[in-house]
Amino acid sequence: MKNFIFSFLALLLLPAYMSGQAIKGKVVDSSGMGIPGAVISASNSRTTADADFDGNFTINAKEGEILKISMLGFDPVSVPATTAPMKITLKESEDTALKEVVVIGYGTRKKVDNTTAISSIKSEEIVKTKVLNASQAIQGKAAGVQVISSDLPGSTPSVVIRGLGTAIGGRNPLYIVDGMQTENINNINTNDITSYEILKDASALAIYGTRAANGVIIITTKKGSGDKVSVEVESFAGFRAPLKTVKMAGSNKYSYYSNAALQSTTFSQDQPVNTDWFDEITRTGSYTQNNVSVSGATENVKYFFSLGNYEEKAVLNGLDFGRTTFRNNNEYKISKKVTLNQNFSVSSANSSPKPLSAFTNAYKQSPIVPVYFADGKYGVSRVGENGFASETGSSFNNVGNPVAQLNFYDEQQRSVTLQGGLKLDYEIIKSLKFTSQFNGEFYTWKQYNYDDTKNIWLAANPNKVDSDYAKEFPNGNINLLTKGREQYFNWNLSNYLTYNKVFAEIHDVEATAGIETSVKGPREKLTIARKNVNPDSNYWALNDPNAGHGVEYAATVTSLYDVVFNETKLASYFGRFQYKLMDRYLVTGTLRRDGSSNFGKDYRWGTFPAFGLGWVITKEDFMSDVKAINLLKLRGGWGKLGNQNVPLNNQSYASGKNAYLGGSILYEGTTISSQIDPSLSWEVTEESSVGLDFELLNNRLKGSFDLYDKNTSNVILFTKPYMTSGLTDQSPAHVGEVSNKGYEISLRWEDKIGDNFSYWIGGNFSNNKNELTGLKDVILAPKTGGSLGNGQTTKLLDNTTIGQPLGSFYLYEYAGFDATNGKMLYYNAAGDKVTQDALDANKDRKYMGSSLPKTNYGITLGFNYKNFDFSVDGYGTGGAKVYNGKKAQRFSGENIEDSLATNFWTLNNLSASNPAPFNEVPVASTYYLESGDFFRINNITVGYKLPIASNNFISSCRLYVNAINPFITQKFSGFSPELNGDGDPYGTQGVELDAYPTLRSFVIGANLKF
Amino acid sequence: MKKIYIAAFVLSASIFTGCSSDYLDVDQTETISTNDTELYNNDAGAAQFVTAIYNKFLNWDMTSFGWIGLSSITSDDADKGSSPGDTGTDKDVLDALTYNASNPSAESTFIANYDGINRCNQALNILPKLDKVDAGLRSRLAGEAKFMRAFMYFTLVKCYGGVPIVDHLPVPGLESDRVMQLTRKTAAEVYTFIEADLNDAIAALPDKTAYSADEKARVSKGAAYALLAKVSLYQKKWQQVIDNCNKVTGYALVSDYASQYKATGKFDSESIFEIYAQGAVPSKGIEGYSNTQGARGTGGWGWGFNTPSQSLVNAYEAGDVRKAATIIFRGQTLYDGRVIPNTVENERYNYKAYSSAYTNAWETDVDIKYLRYAEVLLMKAEASNELGQTSAAIPLVNQIRNRAGLGNTTASSQADVRTAIWKERRVEMAFEHDRFFDLVRTGQAKAAFAVDGKVFTEGKNELFPIPASFIKQAGGLSAQNPGY
Repeated sequence: MKNFIFSFLALLLLPAYMSGQAIKGKVVDSSGMGIPGAVISASNSRTTADADFDGNFTINAKEGEILKISMLGFDPVSVPATTAPMKITLKESEDTALKEVVVIGYGTRKKVDNTTAISSIKSEEIVKTKVLNASQAIQGKAAGVQVISSDLPGSTPSVVIRGLGTAIGGRNPLYIVDGMQTENINNINTNDITSYEILKDASALAIYGTRAANGVIIITTKKGSGDKVSVEVESFAGFRAPLKTVKMAGSNKYSYYSNAALQSTTFSQDQPVNTDWFDEITRTGSYTQNNVSVSGATENVKYFFSLGNYEEKAVLNGLDFGRTTFRNNNEYKISKKVTLNQNFSVSSANSSPKPLSAFTNAYKQSPIVPVYFADGKYGVSRVGENGFASETGSSFNNVGNPVAQLNFYDEQQRSVTLQGGLKLDYEIIKSLKFTSQFNGEFYTWKQYNYDDTKNIWLAANPNKVDSDYAKEFPNGNINLLTKGREQYFNWNLSNYLTYNKVFAEIHDVEATAGIETSVKGPREKLTIARKNVNPDSNYWALNDPNAGHGVEYAATVTSLYDVVFNETKLASYFGRFQYKLMDRYLVTGTLRRDGSSNFGKDYRWGTFPAFGLGWVITKEDFMSDVKAINLLKLRGGWGKLGNQNVPLNNQSYASGKNAYLGGSILYEGTTISSQIDPSLSWEVTEESSVGLDFELLNNRLKGSFDLYDKNTSNVILFTKPYMTSGLTDQSPAHVGEVSNKGYEISLRWEDKIGDNFSYWIGGNFSNNKNELTGLKDVILAPKTGGSLGNGQTTKLLDNTTIGQPLGSFYLYEYAGFDATNGKMLYYNAAGDKVTQDALDANKDRKYMGSSLPKTNYGITLGFNYKNFDFSVDGYGTGGAKVYNGKKAQRFSGENIEDSLATNFWTLNNLSASNPAPFNEVPVASTYYLESGDFFRINNITVGYKLPIASNNFISSCRLYVNAINPFITQKFSGFSPELNGDGDPYGTQGVELDAYPTLRSFVIGANLKF
Repeated sequence: MKKIYIAAFVLSASIFTGCSSDYLDVDQTETISTNDTELYNNDAGAAQFVTAIYNKFLNWDMTSFGWIGLSSITSDDADKGSSPGDTGTDKDVLDALTYNASNPSAESTFIANYDGINRCNQALNILPKLDKVDAGLRSRLAGEAKFMRAFMYFTLVKCYGGVPIVDHLPVPGLESDRVMQLTRKTAAEVYTFIEADLNDAIAALPDKTAYSADEKARVSKGAAYALLAKVSLYQKKWQQVIDNCNKVTGYALVSDYASQYKATGKFDSESIFEIYAQGAVPSKGIEGYSNTQGARGTGGWGWGFNTPSQSLVNAYEAGDVRKAATIIFRGQTLYDGRVIPNTVENERYNYKAYSSAYTNAWETDVDIKYLRYAEVLLMKAEASNELGQTSAAIPLVNQIRNRAGLGNTTASSQADVRTAIWKERRVEMAFEHDRFFDLVRTGQAKAAFAVDGKVFTEGKNELFPIPASFIKQAGGLSAQNPGY
């Protein structure tokens, strides 16, 4: 193969050696940097040459002959050849479409030449919204990319690209940070990012093979540039508060409602205490971020250093989060042909988590309960004879004191992530480049959680004294300390060749071929729990100097888990061929072959092909007169992708089936209780897509339209083994089929009015139809989800789910209440209205829509006037359902929302909108299901650039204020309709229970350059 | 510089040596791979696969609430008990004999026994591969597995009639194994299979004296003979009953009937096959067995299900010590001094499920004695009587009666002796999970239930329904029992 390439090349290069003399020169850009790849052609001599990495070229031409020098993204120039070394400066083209480059896997491509669907988001867009995680910042900025985020500091947003194609496999996109594949980007300082590219369609993704089915996000971090040292400082500080709160009943209304529920006069209706529990557990959050970066370039070295720190005091009392990041990216030019890129980053995160169930407890706890009783003891939900809260009365709900819960909760976590890589580029011959890249990631995490068991019990039982604890719990712990440690090392190595050449001026060929291996090293996790430790945290881990080792704690260890998770390896071959004819006809072909250690020996290799076609219509002669259309490009493609992040198919012994056999010796017992199909492998997604890119009216209106049809044909679901097999474990099998069909539109208008005023307005809209379209002839093990923690579940995936979207709610349909007694009624399968005890769980529930939105959209607008800049970004979703899980928790003496407290059925209020108060756990029904539609202004920024001459010590200073999430319109009556939960559509996603509220933040900051 | 590229190429090439076949073989670390049989290729390792079968008998679904429902609450010996409003999922319909094809207890019992059968098949599959294990031990372990497989199929055939015989580990995707798992065999075929397993077990198992004090729960040759006798009894193979009963040697009745159900009575001379439970930490008792049957309400400790019926109370003759050993009466003082206050919800509770040391624990030290020597005597008596050797049967019945503090039976005709033996079985083995099946076996069911005020539909209630979910899985290969 190699020989073939060389002889082919030799043949094509032959004419270059035939006539004239060697004219030498250098092509540079306006800043004096060489322009590699610039094309120099001498029309008379019929010779061409490419500038090398520094922009130097040699061409055979006659002196005085006109040389045409051109380069994509620059205006071409024609100059006469001179024998003296020439210096040619190219001016950057105004035509931005030609200049823009997108990062594709293992290379880059001019945007105009790209045949695939890639959303590119530049650094200015990412840093504009002042949030910690870049994925949260891009929400609403890319069509077809749905981001469900939470303002809980340190949380990972869910990113769904063009719909969800898997039910139990991994759902996260693959992140590639400077060539390193990772699972999330929580360790990346947003300020260090140059570009954030989202590969959306199969023809772009197939180069990542069996990890690409959920999409790929490529993040490129900054490099140094320019010829002098540049120092940038960016700092901001802001405060945060919940965007929306729910008004709860006050203590008198609570008493009224609860008495009605109990049909008693348990609670006095003139309460001395009125606790607002939400207020008691929250504070005004605050956060600050400071970044310093130093960058620059010399002839042989480009360097970039950055140090960043983020600190947040969250709105939930006691919840703090901090992250410090350091990054160093260097590029060394070792020789004319060899460039070495090195990047290294450290991220250290610190947090003191608090349980989010405090939000639910604050919602539920009665306002008649004081935070503290008069004697300083924590308030508890007991009511005395006088109808007031009392230490010794009778208990009226089982909700704890949320303030006590937070105060007692003592946990610290710290993680450190090191990422680094080396990338070597070697220009073997002109047009042929070899790249070798190694990246590694080391992660370490530690945690402790201290449970003050006895004091927690005493706080919950103010009528008890210290000595009662030992009486009631003779073997109980005084306290319990849990310590966790986790670490892993992942690495990958890729080697590839890139060949790029234009033949006969019209055939532009680029080919890439390489091999790669990715290894996720064994993840180790150790968790130890010890009881009755010293209450002083300094003395939790003592040394015993006489013994020469630590103090022996074995006797106090109550549990010890030590897990080494399986290592996974991937070996891959990949190739891509890109061809452009006459700057207008584009063809891309990709092939990846992956072998994964996750699968059985005979089933571990898969091939993932793709192709893309493009037609730049505006380059056609017949379009040359159409001045209104600057760019019109039609593109389309097909490809096959895999998702290898699926349940492992290794069959294991089931241990722990122990028994005594007549004496006091416990014998170990082992069996096999699973049967896993050895042919289990990755899920395969096929996608066909077409897209249209356009720029109109002097490039002022830009946009694109995309259509896609994605089908995952072998979705893995858990099936029920035959009952007579005796196998108790569910068997994962390739039995489902999921379809995602959708379209995406994005538009942006940009213009200038005069010299001082420029503005833009843009938006995007995407729609996706997700559906479980088929199942093989199997009986699925029903997958229930959205548990409310009270025996009720809200979601289901089983044989009946065909035709429904993934993440569908499965509920009883509320049928109003019985006018005669105020009891809630539900429709049964026959359509009759019945009470909940007459419902049949197997027949009467229905699918009621999914927690995943069908549409999402974003808008952006803004202007620059002189030194001022202003911008607004908005985001919305449609078609999702959310379940008011916290409201559905009430079953006896819990608090209710203010709107419910007096508006309920009584014999005197038959037209009330709510049923009579009840004292039982309500079934999961549509009574608690609400629309998740919302539109939110995500960000408003106003900036002002101080008028400073650029040769000052401070060359630039911009001051700004931001309002993040200042407004929302939502239909949901709870805190936030954006509910990521555990990120699982079959978990708590879309269920508001123990959920962190969406925050509104105001920020002031400055950006300085030196 | 070129050296670097050469090195890089070589490095990347070496990683993929041999088309990556070795490179991608990653050893499991988070679970023990079933490929790693060598780990168990030693005496203790081999025994683990059989211990797992014994462990199954301790499970909730195998021996506890659902099984209590099927084998006891259905019978005329017991009522649902508990609070009137507490159905115990389906214990009300079991008590009333109005269950349908989706009955949860019938389903869980079906699943649990096949779970146990899988454990037997797993043991029988791996034992021949463990070549470093003592041959004698391997043979004995296989015998234990076969005994327990036979025991489980016996439970299945009693409950459901003919069921699919899964006699080996099915190969996924193999059509014949799919058919094996989904096709019901006839009851006769199941009995033939059980007898074959028991004959293998008899050949492989030692006498009970061969086991050390810590392994008395292991099944012995005597247990296999006794079970074969009982299986023969259900098939009315009378001579075979007698022959096998005669081979159950080395056992004797204990003098104090009540002692058998106390912690001190474990593995006494009468015990033949006993499910052994340990309440001490780490507890390995029968999950929830004592608790579900414990006294309910103020002063109680359990859920209060499976209460002795008035019909059972009436069945005891005056002076029968077994009544007091079987039934806890409200207000009574138990042998360990515990007073059952009058505030508990039900009049009577099952004494045989009572644990003195771990009263309210989820897993206690209450054993179940599935085969006792007393039953061997009664089986032999019944078979002898059926073969016309009534005079040989009477002394056997009297042994049982005398131990219970009663005089000799007055029955003398073959028919009267038959009735006397059946009645003796009832009071001797009450709450030992035998009564319902005994009523069906002997054809007394309709009449007995009528006395208890329930309707036993002949042609239907002899068998429980095959779980509807299994019939669905079988997709036409298996049919439901009549009437469901």
